Amino acid sequence: MIMRPGQQLLLPANPVFIWGSLLLALLANMVPLGRTPWLPDLLALALVFWSVHQPLRVGIVAAFLFGLAMDVHETGLLGQHALAYTALSYFAITIHRRLLWFSVPSQALQVLPLFIAAHAIQLAVRMMAGGSFPGGSLLLAPVIESLLWPLISIILLAPQRRAPDPDENRPL
Amino acid sequence: MPRRGDGAQLRMPLGTLDRSPPPFFKQGPSALSKLMVCSTLALFLMVADARFRIAQPVRAAVATILFPVEWLAMRPVLGLRFVAGYFESLASAQAGEAAARQRLAQLSLRANQVEQLEVENRRLRKLLELRDRLGAPARAAEVLYDAADPYSRKVILDAGLAQGIQPGSPVLDELGVLGQVTRVHPLVSEVTLVIDREQAIPVLNARTGARSVAYGDPSGQGGTLELRFMAGNADVQPGDLLTTSGVDGVYPPGLPVARVSKVDRRQDSAFARIECTPQALVQGARHVMVLTPLGSEGPQRPAVPEDATAGARKGQRK
Repeated sequence: MIMRPGQQLLLPANPVFIWGSLLLALLANMVPLGRTPWLPDLLALALVFWSVHQPLRVGIVAAFLFGLAMDVHETGLLGQHALAYTALSYFAITIHRRLLWFSVPSQALQVLPLFIAAHAIQLAVRMMAGGSFPGGSLLLAPVIESLLWPLISIILLAPQRRAPDPDENRPL
Repeated sequence: MPRRGDGAQLRMPLGTLDRSPPPFFKQGPSALSKLMVCSTLALFLMVADARFRIAQPVRAAVATILFPVEWLAMRPVLGLRFVAGYFESLASAQAGEAAARQRLAQLSLRANQVEQLEVENRRLRKLLELRDRLGAPARAAEVLYDAADPYSRKVILDAGLAQGIQPGSPVLDELGVLGQVTRVHPLVSEVTLVIDREQAIPVLNARTGARSVAYGDPSGQGGTLELRFMAGNADVQPGDLLTTSGVDGVYPPGLPVARVSKVDRRQDSAFARIECTPQALVQGARHVMVLTPLGSEGPQRPAVPEDATAGARKGQRK
């Protein structure tokens, strides 16, 4: 196996933690904060993160199902988020081997087009279905999502960075 | 000092590295084929939802599964709302109460007159042999939150199929018509506001008696309504009250909907551009009334003569 220079050896990811974090992102997305188009889509962020880091566990079908849940919650067109998340997860799986060779800030720059594409898909679908334009602040959402990438990389990889043999000096 | 590579790796317990070889034979379908299947399914769902309205069972099932998650997600916002209400100053609460009492006094004057007018109206209608005007049964509900979808204008009510809400029911707040129930889930229901782009409501100009249809227009500040296809010289003035006309068989007649705010008569167009402000609190309504749509228990149709129906049936058979 080819190792990247400076790559950390990580513990195996806990499936409970993966699905728990996805559910928590869904919950955070569902907090009723009104109609705010610029709010970042945390579920999309978590789905891209796990599609990049654990493509064998979290893939396109999971993204589709989570998208369906978001559609029903947002009362939009059924299938709008499902399509966007499916495409997002596919692109994330396509770039996952290349992406991890870069430092985290440049990873954030590389996932920005993915998030832009996901929002553009939703906008195009809704405009074709006859929705009203949500305003220019929609452009902020993918930028905020990509700015959150370093943060979510630290948080979601933290359990895998623990010591393999905890003792009283290293309890975590 | 141990060399790197031998000691450290040997002491490590098994199964502590996130490196397992990818499965050789159990690959499953490729990512591209999964993408194809899922996006086709999503497109199919969109068409089924937008054009044929047959995706409602899927929606109701997912909504029921999601209800506990939504309930949990609502807690912080409801908590904040409670805390804000608790710390609202005494003065503003008293001012609110005084205003409410004043409004109640005004309304009770009108209400007492209405009792008498209704009796009078009923007698006059009997004299003229008109059909009795229907009072629609109503039930109270509370707005849980604004739907997050930025492409439409909807709110979520805390009552659904279990509470007997029917799709198509008109929804009012204390000031006027708020919208219409468009989807009913087992425990919650969705209300499309009058300012939604796809919502239209037949109205009557209370000053002139002219009927027209008001369309939602969410692009204006706070959302407005627009009277379309009114002639450039139509008798509409800013300040006119628009009420429901009742010709649609959904809304009971006489409920306030909007007030005309701007009339723009253009030289180059045959129609005037008429902007109206909704009367209901489309941004912050909390307590609403859900009426039963008139169509479900509308007035009885006049009896059709026997031979006429027989003729119609014969015509169908041909």
